[in-house]
Amino acid sequence: MKRSLTIGSAVAVAAAVALLAAGCSSGSNAGSADKPVTITLWGSYGNGGNSTQQDALNKTLIPAFEKANPGITVKYVDIAYDSLLQKLTTSAAGDQLPDLVRADLGWVPQFADLGVLVPLSDSMSDFSTLSKNVYPGSLATNLYKGKYYGLPLDTNTRVLITSQAALDKAGVSAPPKTFDDLRAMAGKLKGTGVSLFADSGLGAWNISPWIWSGGGEVTNKTETKATGYLNSAKNVSTVQMLVDFYNDKLIPNLITGNTGATGTSDGLPKTEYATILDGPWMQGIWSGQYPDFAPVYAPIPAGAGGSVSVVGGEDIVLTQSSKNKAAAEKFIRFTQSKDFQLAMVKTGQMTVVPSLASEEVAVADYYTTFAEQLKTAKSRVASPQASKIDTVLSTELTPAFLGTTTVKAALDKAATEIDALLAGGK
Amino acid sequence: MTAQLQTARPRGRAVPASQTAATTFRYAALIVGAVVMIIPFLYMVSTSFTAQAYVLTLPPQFIPNPATIANYTQALTTQDFLLYFANSLIVALASTVLSVLISSMMAFAFARYDFAGKEIIFRVLLAGLTVPAVMLLIPQFLLAKDWHLLDSLPGLMVFYIAGSLALNTFLLRGFLASVPGELDQAMQVDGANAWTRYWRLALPLAKPAIATATIFTFLASWDEYPLALTMINNPDHRTLPVAIAAFQGQNATQWGLVFAASLIAIVPVIIVFLVFQRYFVQGLTSGAVKG
Amino acid sequence: MTRQRARASATPYLFLAPGFILFLAVIIYPAIRAFQMSFFDWKIVPGAVSQFIGLDNYVRAFQDGHFWLSLSNSGIYMLATVPPQIVIGLFIAMLLKRKSPTQPLFRVLFYLPVVTSWVVVSLLFKYLFADSGLVNFTLHDFLHLMNRDVSWLSARGTALIAICALGVWKGIGWSMMIFLAALQGVPETLEEAATMDGANRWQRFRAVTLPAISPATVFITVMLVIGGLNVFTSVLLLTGGGPGGQTDVVLS
Repeated sequence: MKRSLTIGSAVAVAAAVALLAAGCSSGSNAGSADKPVTITLWGSYGNGGNSTQQDALNKTLIPAFEKANPGITVKYVDIAYDSLLQKLTTSAAGDQLPDLVRADLGWVPQFADLGVLVPLSDSMSDFSTLSKNVYPGSLATNLYKGKYYGLPLDTNTRVLITSQAALDKAGVSAPPKTFDDLRAMAGKLKGTGVSLFADSGLGAWNISPWIWSGGGEVTNKTETKATGYLNSAKNVSTVQMLVDFYNDKLIPNLITGNTGATGTSDGLPKTEYATILDGPWMQGIWSGQYPDFAPVYAPIPAGAGGSVSVVGGEDIVLTQSSKNKAAAEKFIRFTQSKDFQLAMVKTGQMTVVPSLASEEVAVADYYTTFAEQLKTAKSRVASPQASKIDTVLSTELTPAFLGTTTVKAALDKAATEIDALLAGGK
Repeated sequence: MTAQLQTARPRGRAVPASQTAATTFRYAALIVGAVVMIIPFLYMVSTSFTAQAYVLTLPPQFIPNPATIANYTQALTTQDFLLYFANSLIVALASTVLSVLISSMMAFAFARYDFAGKEIIFRVLLAGLTVPAVMLLIPQFLLAKDWHLLDSLPGLMVFYIAGSLALNTFLLRGFLASVPGELDQAMQVDGANAWTRYWRLALPLAKPAIATATIFTFLASWDEYPLALTMINNPDHRTLPVAIAAFQGQNATQWGLVFAASLIAIVPVIIVFLVFQRYFVQGLTSGAVKG
Repeated sequence: MTRQRARASATPYLFLAPGFILFLAVIIYPAIRAFQMSFFDWKIVPGAVSQFIGLDNYVRAFQDGHFWLSLSNSGIYMLATVPPQIVIGLFIAMLLKRKSPTQPLFRVLFYLPVVTSWVVVSLLFKYLFADSGLVNFTLHDFLHLMNRDVSWLSARGTALIAICALGVWKGIGWSMMIFLAALQGVPETLEEAATMDGANRWQRFRAVTLPAISPATVFITVMLVIGGLNVFTSVLLLTGGGPGGQTDVVLS
């Protein structure tokens, strides 16, 4: 009995101490928040323990901005990329959003639809000047119902990446420039155990470059209809080409969702895969993991539509709940400046300002291919339903690769479902 | 081993051959089981000592070559890892103590009293158990906002305590109900009030179950991620799981780093486990019926 | 006498009050809110008008073939993981019940998977079940049980095997803990009496141990069934619901 009493009192003391400590720690920080003007920016520059981007922001860019704009303090809060969307959604529900958010470009229509973003094309008098400086493809990702809700911060796209070892194995001298080159390369790789091409899924990010380069479209121009566009004869033949490769074991089942297959970032350096489509961040990954690997960058193979890739990147948006909109807009202007853009280029983020492209290429050679590809790259459907469209594409296209349905039937079905999504999301 | 087994079971009849066979079987089963349980874990330990260039090569390597402790130093130095560690410790300790206290009181009421509404109240608790935490996230966030519990550690504790109440009450009630009520009645006859009977009799009797509840609650509060992510904005109030998640990047994840951080995070849970599991050893028989 | 009764009847409510009030406010009220939201075309932003759509969300879910596939996946997961966790957990608890110097060590080893986060163990299993992972290596190259490598995570059936294996592996320690605590509550005198009556090991287990720990068994079963239906993280990280949504579970 005695023993239990001592345990009981120890437990009670521990609880009291813990509560007290918690009270102190929350109390001591509460006071420091109310400076003249503080604007908060949420983003995921943290990039998985690689702190170069966050350091550039916190140690160089933000101090420079604060110096130029006395009285404004900028607080950057880093949130893990995988959790950012969810955190933004709940915070929007609770009216707890920060002033500024660095959002994945696919999220802008979704949040604009919720009504939590300020249309910058209305609120910023110099918006048209700022918007003329950036790539149209990147800018377009901020458009929702005729208004722009953000400005691009950084951009990226996918290009064809291969290796000398893979080209040697296929007996070709240069990366495939056209769909025909690709088919020729396929013939040579058949039976060698090296896959012609690998990708990790069938979403819009994965399949769009093929569709556009093949001369097809996902939807009509106004993004209200997919039937008649997604299931066009051109798209059927483009996707059929990929399905044929798949059937000849030239595309691994990674593309149909085998998460146990070798990833593209490992398969290419190991010459299991001859080509992949990917972004500028791969260089950083390989220099850490495969220091000896020398990737070869080339444009997406051209089909009937030319060489057309897909735009990725992040936008900066201003929230309706911001109490310091003028200060926040100043920071948005700052992000479009040469200083900001070039500082981020050095950390692996491509600039959204075409006039800085030559300086960008000077930072690293491989940016050349990406910058060139960006000139024609297109953005995916800008809709609050974008993620559902992704799901439809991969769910409906997978059976076509597995052979349980025809390409035509799969595209018809996907188009019908996307029509419904676009009608619902307007 | 046989000798020990026989001291543990003083009345065990001496049939040495079958005894030895049983012991051998017991250990064989335990060792095979333990090996299966530990292999994936060892793999994680090995990865945490591996440089990024050699991480997750296939087939898996169990002995890192070359080995490095860079992941541990980086985990401890990037971000305010120690602050987050302390935050998590405060939240988990306070939540555990309060939750076990409050739920053992509820369990005592359920196990020792008959009262109007008992069934309904217990069913409401059970119903609470079946609601997936993901579903509650947004309503709970709105509630926290109304109550000004956002962005503070005590605010998180309120949700962690409430979240573990039903499970703990259920667990402790089951245990208390299986304990014969005679001792309680005897104390009641002696004039002990309800609090004394709870504090002096029920709690010590329920030691194994309380140890279990403590271990579970500590682990749950220590590991909780979605609520901590949603409710905390100020980086100074972050808890460890949020910090560990930040090591996973958009395009690349340094697995050695994530595993090293996770292993550091496992240490307190193992300590709590080791401290409280010894209460399993002194069970009912020695504690109450005989003593 | 009347005073005595009045006090006695108030006592249980006093013991219940702090916990139950907190529980109603922080769990039940939000649960009701969530349930209420499910009848609306819910606009999460404050001020926006949410339209009452009645059972539309449910009708849409029930008409969606995908919902039923998810439901059956959750059901399969539950059936495949709950019984093994109970049986193996109890078996190990029985083995670890007696005092011995190695006992604490084994307890920790069996409990390790429980304390490791879902994210980390899911990733571990993804690599164990990868095309050239440890599982294929062991079954094909080492034990020669299979004549080729299997793409475990590429098809619904085999992917579910991997997900269930993870569930059982991570859950055994948990049920073992509760059984261990419950086994301490079985009075030794009962067992000894049964031994005196000439009952063998199995008979003692059936007649004495099992009935004595039945509250714990019920508890574990209920909790595992609930947990089985709520499985989410491991599926998301292991297969992302793939291939083509074939392994999605209800929550996703």
